Amino acid sequence: MEKEKPPEVPVTGVIYGEIAYRIALLGILISIVGIIIYMISNGYLDRTCTLNQLWSGASVDTIWSECAGVSAALEGHWYFSMLSHGDAIAMLGISVTCSAAVLGMWGGLIGMVRSKGGMYIIFALIVAIILTLCAVGLVVIKE
Amino acid sequence: MRLSKLSIAAAIVLAITIFLFSSGIGYAADSADQSMGLSPVAFFFVFVAICTLIGIVAVLGGVGGGVVFTPLMMGFTPIDSFIIRATGLVVAMAGSLIAARPFLRRGLANIKLLFFAAVPYTIFAVVGALLAGYVKASAGEFGEALIRLILGVLVIFIALLILFGGKKVEYPEVKKVDGFTQRLGLAMSYWEQSMGKVVNYKVTRSPVGIFLFCACGVVSGMFGVGAGWAMVPVFNLVMLAPLKVAAASSKVLIGMGDTAAVWPYIMRGGIFPLFAVACIIGVVIGTSIGARLMFKVKAQFIRWMIILVMIGAGVKLAIDGIEML
Repeated sequence: MEKEKPPEVPVTGVIYGEIAYRIALLGILISIVGIIIYMISNGYLDRTCTLNQLWSGASVDTIWSECAGVSAALEGHWYFSMLSHGDAIAMLGISVTCSAAVLGMWGGLIGMVRSKGGMYIIFALIVAIILTLCAVGLVVIKE
Repeated sequence: MRLSKLSIAAAIVLAITIFLFSSGIGYAADSADQSMGLSPVAFFFVFVAICTLIGIVAVLGGVGGGVVFTPLMMGFTPIDSFIIRATGLVVAMAGSLIAARPFLRRGLANIKLLFFAAVPYTIFAVVGALLAGYVKASAGEFGEALIRLILGVLVIFIALLILFGGKKVEYPEVKKVDGFTQRLGLAMSYWEQSMGKVVNYKVTRSPVGIFLFCACGVVSGMFGVGAGWAMVPVFNLVMLAPLKVAAASSKVLIGMGDTAAVWPYIMRGGIFPLFAVACIIGVVIGTSIGARLMFKVKAQFIRWMIILVMIGAGVKLAIDGIEML
């Protein structure tokens, strides 16, 4: 009797998995570097103040105003303009990690198009667009 | 000699620990005002250690890190719940993104099923995140109380689901595939290593699945917990996917959906690297260690432990919520 062979694995999944894994790992490494710098040379948000405020149950806006001297939390991609600070680099790393699925989904979409995935191209496109809109800051929590 | 990835990770963490402690102790001594009597460096490593433990215990208990992290942190630390829920989502998402690769390379996670489920899950995870912000802003103390109370009840429910969730079927029999699912063409196959053969499977009831994934998304986005505990039963018991496919697919799906939910929290400035990075590193290391320990330790004890911890956290959150009302 002929031995069964493993089925072919869909390339779309492999593309998504590879992109998401590598970018997530890169993001974690960047955030580790950032946090080391933050511990050595402080950051945009004073680290002791941040710790004290966090542990006293302060709200997001209070932490920002007490520890960074701003009136309210800096919204959006605040860290891009603060990359000389360790916490901003760490935050960049977290953002890169959070971008892993966004880029992975666009890669998966390309894979799906190439493998003529029919309606799954539309599904992938919808998810990729939603993730991108969230990542660029078009979906925000308003107060 | 070939070093395992885990040894390398452990060595890096050890090196960083030594480096930071040697550079940070002087700073800590200067600090007049320290929370818990800890310097930021010590706080960071305490949370790496706690989250490593959470990661290990969660994997051995058969749940994701996020679902243990958020209720524990909300129940037993004074940190603002908005920040904890934001961090919980990052933790759940990071663990899922790292774990996704092998499932997709082996074809264990059904990519068609994933893209299909990702649409309702992602949309409603965003809705959940926006709802969390709205409740916080408009309902103030009452909203916080409500979130704690609902999360407490939810966590107790999840613990009971783990306790009585023995009905999971490894290879459910699909007798009839509805027309909608048939048109979607979700049937696939994967190589079952333990049996040395190909498993061909079908799924069904995808319209019910859409509705349930919407609910999973709202819960995940609003409370900052990964929704693997809910999605595995949806895939396995409702849509009748094999258990391994259900578990792998839900793990990958968390990475997609929670990414959408976490961005509104980031945009609102709700992530603080001092806390978030420690938690991400801890949970990622913990889940890696847990996955290796899984085959060596008796999981039954851990399972009971996690059930008790979750019930404890759930009761604490519910009591906090009732007291705040």
